[in-house]
Amino acid sequence: MRILSVLIRSSFWGAGLLLALCGPTNAAAPQATDNQAMLLGKASIVFSGTVSQLAATSFADVPKSAQTIVVRVDSILKKPAAVSLKRGDSVTVEAKDASAFQEGAHATFYTDGWIFGSGVAVKELGHVLGKVSEPVPAAGSGNAPGQAQGQLSDQELKERMNESDFVVVGRVTDVHKWNARKTKSGSPLHVTEHDPDWREAVVEIQSVLKGARVKGNKVVVRFPNQNDVAWAHSPRFMKNQRGIFCLNRDKATGAPTAKLGSKEVSVYTCLGHGDALPLSEEARVRALLKNQ
Amino acid sequence: MKAVASDPRFPGFAVCVALFALLLSPLLGPALKKTGGFLLTRGQAPAPSSIKVVDLIPASLSGETNQDSEPFLAIQKDNPQVMVASAFTPNPFSMTGNAPVYVSQDGGVSWALNAITPVQRMTCDITHAMATGESHPRGDLHAGTLDCSSGVTLDESESVDVASSATMSVQSMRGNVDQPFVRALGVSSGDRIYVGVNDFNQANGQTATIDVSLDGGATYKSVPIERRKTAGQDGPSVRPAVANDGTVYAAFFGWRKFDGKTATSDVVVVRDDAAATGASPFQALTDPSDKLPGRVVVKNASIPWSNAPALGQERIGSTLSIAVDPNKSSIVYVGWADKGDKGDIYTLHVRNSADRGVTWSKADLPGTTIHNATNVALAIANNGVVGFLYQQLSAGRWVTHLLQSHDAFTTSQDTVLATVPADQPAEQFLPYLGDYDYLLSVGNEFRGVFCANNTPDFADFPHGVTFQRAANFGARTLNDGAGNLVAISIDPFYFSVPVIP
Repeated sequence: MRILSVLIRSSFWGAGLLLALCGPTNAAAPQATDNQAMLLGKASIVFSGTVSQLAATSFADVPKSAQTIVVRVDSILKKPAAVSLKRGDSVTVEAKDASAFQEGAHATFYTDGWIFGSGVAVKELGHVLGKVSEPVPAAGSGNAPGQAQGQLSDQELKERMNESDFVVVGRVTDVHKWNARKTKSGSPLHVTEHDPDWREAVVEIQSVLKGARVKGNKVVVRFPNQNDVAWAHSPRFMKNQRGIFCLNRDKATGAPTAKLGSKEVSVYTCLGHGDALPLSEEARVRALLKNQ
Repeated sequence: MKAVASDPRFPGFAVCVALFALLLSPLLGPALKKTGGFLLTRGQAPAPSSIKVVDLIPASLSGETNQDSEPFLAIQKDNPQVMVASAFTPNPFSMTGNAPVYVSQDGGVSWALNAITPVQRMTCDITHAMATGESHPRGDLHAGTLDCSSGVTLDESESVDVASSATMSVQSMRGNVDQPFVRALGVSSGDRIYVGVNDFNQANGQTATIDVSLDGGATYKSVPIERRKTAGQDGPSVRPAVANDGTVYAAFFGWRKFDGKTATSDVVVVRDDAAATGASPFQALTDPSDKLPGRVVVKNASIPWSNAPALGQERIGSTLSIAVDPNKSSIVYVGWADKGDKGDIYTLHVRNSADRGVTWSKADLPGTTIHNATNVALAIANNGVVGFLYQQLSAGRWVTHLLQSHDAFTTSQDTVLATVPADQPAEQFLPYLGDYDYLLSVGNEFRGVFCANNTPDFADFPHGVTFQRAANFGARTLNDGAGNLVAISIDPFYFSVPVIP
């Protein structure tokens, strides 16, 4: 139930979620509810619906198989904002076990996207048979709860933190240009459109959420300043910025150490979307780390 | 949700098009000018129904506002109903899922997004080609992708069925390379793949390289094609072109000096007469000045380099294209951009050779010196007609042209595919429209892709347009399919234009 409480605290559509999870007519046991909460965290598209066709697809671009079923959407519990999906639409679901469904069956489907064309096709991660109560639409998200474009889900954030060498809470005390090695003529070693134009941030660590303690409590973090597509979603650091930072040892710049005062220290990078989070995410991050 | 030029819900559309055309005639003036003695009139342009322009964003992603720039296209030539397009389109449902491609199975009428590339979320370069040697009717798609999730990694990968959900299989990968550009040729023994890359792993800064696979991608061999001293490296664009007889050309920018803002560059063309199957490929052409492999088409061109907006909201620095006549491999065209006259930012040029690249036209072909333009893409149709796709910044608009000529541009026909505001939407990242667009020929069509502002406004698309995504052409607004307004963004557009006789 801890995961469930985190999800509810952290999700802007918590009210709808709570109703949806508690609402199946065949009341779920606590363990089943935990499983649903886990599925909800993992799935990108969650909806309840009625199975209308077996071994069929809802639009031509989807390869038909014994595992594909068509489901008419009754209500949407979770979807990315970019995805156009509403009550009454027909969705193709690639079921894990299509024999679990009959025409007319009601179920809540926990899915990931598959093919997006004139309609939506998804792959089932799990399902719960039975009708659900109508979820409360989230404010400002249209007719259905939609995850804002670019927002990391709990599952994605957990994966990202798993891949990080360090997760720290800290404050940026300095930002400056980092001059990568250059040729004799002064031009960069490699001229490409993807040149990151590296910057260095000095981060004063206030607490370490993942990883070993850092000597001196300060680290050097390199980040790209270039607005090229390769780095468009990388965090940019600003002096006095406070936040939660997912850091990896520098394998990108070719110079994994730097001078910090008189000391030679290891350098870290912070490159991925969501690697720098606002302090308001601290409770969510701590809970996700605790439940790994 | 579909707004189509010929949609019966728009019964007066033909009249509207005519009225728009009339209103737009001052704007389209250049498109209708007399070029090389060939008077271009609206009556001579293909009828609106014969030109197809389609916004690739599918109806089910009507809520998206991404900058889907830098488009590319592959056609399954044995089954040309099947095509694959790409752009900087992120995975629509997951930050960690696979980056997608657009797939059409009906000749470009409709497109669906399928997340099958081996790259997480979004590529930072992708090109591809579909060869026909291995008899996969919805394959073989061979892609070169850059994965920038941590550093920059090239994947060379394959899909035997682009409609399936299987992730493309990675056949080769390495770091320290830039701008993969894939062409392929199907032969009875399998697929031959040619990937132009700027490979920083090569010795002596001679970075222009063709990755060659003669076995469908099972193995690749990196072939350096630069033989002269460089400024530490060559330019990013390395472009192969393949004729049906196995002649393979490649063009690249041989950088001789670079000061951070300008590259002094040769435009160099190499050739191989045996599909690069020999021990020392791409050495068939030598330059008379130094006898080294690689014919210098233009020497010491001054090419501006800007990794910031320079031409409108677009960056500039490396636009290059080469095309060979598929049936007469002696005929080859090359196009590039450099710094033109004073006051000009970026100027396109096209030149040609009729003797397998040995000699080249001394000056630009008539009407092919295009000021303040980028994204040159050349292709040659089966009947020898040359297509020249480009995007020009003109009077605050990005205007996408397809020029066609059957006589080396002595006469030509210009088709304006789109003319859209250049200042909207604001750039999310670079490139704004792309470091390239693309043009191919199949049968009696030129097919291609370009990127543009996606305002649903018929005035922006003189030959009509089909939006798959939810759009209101009356109000000139986009919505998410449920009626909620969606901001304007950059979308990829597919087009098909009949080849002139």
